[in-house]
Amino acid sequence: MTPHDRHSRLQDRIEAALKRKAQRSALSVAVKRGRDSRRAALDAIPGGEAFREEVRAIKLRCLEKQQELIERFAARAKERGTHVFMAKDGAAAIGYILTLAAERKAKTVAKSKSLTSEEIEVNESLEAAGLQVVETDLGELIIQKTGEKPFHLVFPAVHKTAAEVAEIFKRVTGENVPHDIDAIMKAVRRYLRPIFLNADIGMTGANIGIAETGTIAIETNEGNARLVSSIPDVHVCIIGQEKIVETIDDAFQMMFAHPVSAVGQHLTTYVTMMSGRSPMGEGDSARESHIVILDNGRSQMRASELYSDALNCIRCGACMNICPTYGVVGGHTFGHIYPGPIGIPWTAEIHGLEKAADFAPLCVSCGLCMEICPAKIDIPLMIAGVKDRASRRQPHPLINRVLMAAESMAKLGSATAPLANRSLQNALFRRGLEKFVGIDRRRQLPPFSPQTLTAQFHRRGPAKIAGPKRKVAFFTDVYANYNAPELGMAAIERLEALGCEVIIPPQRACGYPYIAYGDLKRAHKTAQKNVAHLAPYVEKGYEIVTTEPTAAYCLKVSYPRLLGQSRRSLAVVEHTHEYFPFAAQLENDITASEQSLLAGRTYGFHIPCHQRALGAGRHTVDFLQKRGAKVQVVETGTCCGMAGTFGLKKGFLGYELAHAVGEPLFEEFKASGVEAIVTESSVCSIHLRQGTGMPVHHPLELLQPAE
Amino acid sequence: MDQDLVTQFKNKYETLAGIVHLVDTEDQAAEAVLDIVRLEQCRQVALGSLPASLSARIDAACSEAGIAVVKPPYQRQQLPQAMHESPVGVTWAALAVAETGALLELTTDDALRLVSALPRVHVGICRARDLLATHREAAAPIRRFFSQNKRNATATFISGPSRTGDIEMRLTLGVHGPEVAHAVVLGRCPDEADTGDKGDRHDAP
Repeated sequence: MTPHDRHSRLQDRIEAALKRKAQRSALSVAVKRGRDSRRAALDAIPGGEAFREEVRAIKLRCLEKQQELIERFAARAKERGTHVFMAKDGAAAIGYILTLAAERKAKTVAKSKSLTSEEIEVNESLEAAGLQVVETDLGELIIQKTGEKPFHLVFPAVHKTAAEVAEIFKRVTGENVPHDIDAIMKAVRRYLRPIFLNADIGMTGANIGIAETGTIAIETNEGNARLVSSIPDVHVCIIGQEKIVETIDDAFQMMFAHPVSAVGQHLTTYVTMMSGRSPMGEGDSARESHIVILDNGRSQMRASELYSDALNCIRCGACMNICPTYGVVGGHTFGHIYPGPIGIPWTAEIHGLEKAADFAPLCVSCGLCMEICPAKIDIPLMIAGVKDRASRRQPHPLINRVLMAAESMAKLGSATAPLANRSLQNALFRRGLEKFVGIDRRRQLPPFSPQTLTAQFHRRGPAKIAGPKRKVAFFTDVYANYNAPELGMAAIERLEALGCEVIIPPQRACGYPYIAYGDLKRAHKTAQKNVAHLAPYVEKGYEIVTTEPTAAYCLKVSYPRLLGQSRRSLAVVEHTHEYFPFAAQLENDITASEQSLLAGRTYGFHIPCHQRALGAGRHTVDFLQKRGAKVQVVETGTCCGMAGTFGLKKGFLGYELAHAVGEPLFEEFKASGVEAIVTESSVCSIHLRQGTGMPVHHPLELLQPAE
Repeated sequence: MDQDLVTQFKNKYETLAGIVHLVDTEDQAAEAVLDIVRLEQCRQVALGSLPASLSARIDAACSEAGIAVVKPPYQRQQLPQAMHESPVGVTWAALAVAETGALLELTTDDALRLVSALPRVHVGICRARDLLATHREAAAPIRRFFSQNKRNATATFISGPSRTGDIEMRLTLGVHGPEVAHAVVLGRCPDEADTGDKGDRHDAP
């Protein structure tokens, strides 16, 4: 398959998903409720997000000594009479289970939800061998009956309406099932009871394995895993080896982290911790339990410098609740068996690079998944790795190559500004640009400036500041340098007024598009060059300040990861600042006239995704409020859809999807009653202006005297 | 034990769609169970492994009211049918956690797990003095329980009725397990009602 085929197929799938309006709205309600409930739960507990540090520490420690923990877990479980089978892959696991089923002359298998069993497609194999397999989790049961894959990790059937579900159970049970939820539920209870009571084998996954005691922990809200693990004579548990933790205390942290991250619950309604298999009443003997510990590529993942981080996943689904594009297209488009952001590296490692590459371009690299992940997994970097590997088999499409070379394009645009700007206004040129390059003709593009910020600044020369309070090395990035030098100059002059000596050191654009589209070699090289440019200034006592949130994010979050936490990259991290938090440190009391500069103005503040990792623009809001403006943060909790240069691209894998993602936010802004939108991101501002029709400003623009 | 924990537990358990009854004595606990059974208009109740005197009181109160009581020891042959046919199941919780609104059930017999899993109504009874403030505090007693039972042992946290949101995200109770969940907290005024062995926590009856 050529990259063109892959992308156009994905475009078709996105187009189809966008047309399914009812599904989209159900999904959007589900993911928003998930992230809002999580937020509310964490706001209400002491420590808030701090548990994520602990979860990560536990996962890293247990992964470090994984082999030892697997052996201890297996030994303890065996001491309790459980049969333990180490399955190197899916075929081995299925072989073991099929043999067991045949030996026990089993006819029916009742299952509770297990993504690990879906990973190796156990059901298909058991059914092929003539067994009846019934998923007892309601969501899983619904999609089993329709032959689908989960649409969402936590709510597998969220895309089905009650009426559709009623029809499904009418077909399954032969009963007349009315279209209301209560009636459906009663029908399902009647359908499931005999299955629970009579199944020969109960099969479950496990959320956690505890090495200390040889215990498996299973979390459900429905209680179906309790029935499946207690009634049948044979219990089989399939557990991925990465789920094994060292102690009960570790497990307790996971029990909290799972549901709170998924839906804001402190604990699922039922948490079953089984150590060995208990008898059922007096005179019982022949009950057995089997634990299948699955490797299936996990050992290989663990050995990979980049992908081992994916093993820290606790399968909470939070990344799916915050991912902007997943929240629009859902798991059938954004997933293979493992859906969503974390599904990309998992699919690449378990089900193959090709399968992952089919949906990896849906990741727009907003970075929000890493911010919500309870194990703080660097999902975006792993996805960049998947895209990078895929590009070595099939080169990046032209548009992605162009956007990765954004700085060269901007340089050219600036050098030929009058012509370039006229061309950008020319419909024929834009049609050509769309057809031959892939930039959507509907997208408004900012004009280039004939003189860059750097050139203007050097012509002016650094201001002489006697006894400067701080020394600042200004990082321009693309927009301030090539498109809006007046904004950059305003920023610099304000710093000078606050007593800073400012210079513009040699630098390249931050290079985030290399991560977003997946060229890790160039990303690495850019990081190296910029750190080499900037580190000497840091050593001479300069602070690095930038007005572009993505540039700050790149310097503070991406570079150290790309450069293996090198000493110099960490020095840059420590001394890099977003503009307003830095200015806030220097600003004392402001004059009365400045205090009323923005009196009576009402603004809606937009937080760019990359700013969320840096303090969410709190200082910017303060800065404006201090000057009399009424500012409210307007947000949906996810990305506006622009995602850097993603929203420039033509068609469904670009402009259309960017707008579908942005719509709820546009509506929020329009309904908020504010006179204008304020944001610091140069690209979000284009998208918001176009999506809402409202004025959008960089905060520094508001400080210019009125014309 | 302190009153704040009881209140915290009650609030949390009730936000999870459960119902909490605060009683001082075992007689009152038995009465609460009988009230529930009557309210549900059912004719059979299944008991888990409760402290002997409490079990006897519930048994007496129900029998007197003409309600059949099934209780341990359960025979393999009656299972799981006996539990499936009992609309109400009454179990003992060794501990409960105020922070999460969870009852902790410790068993070494799966018949007893079914008492809280199969009936349409579950009643969990715990002592007020066995309330823990935080989830984490339950780790030590569970560790002790697993080490005392070298072979098989199951610990289960139960916080409210069986719930699902799988159809249109609408919260629905009782599709799989209990639709109604009650927690009876016994001895909320321990100074008056309970002169027993304070401080020595019982992991299992």
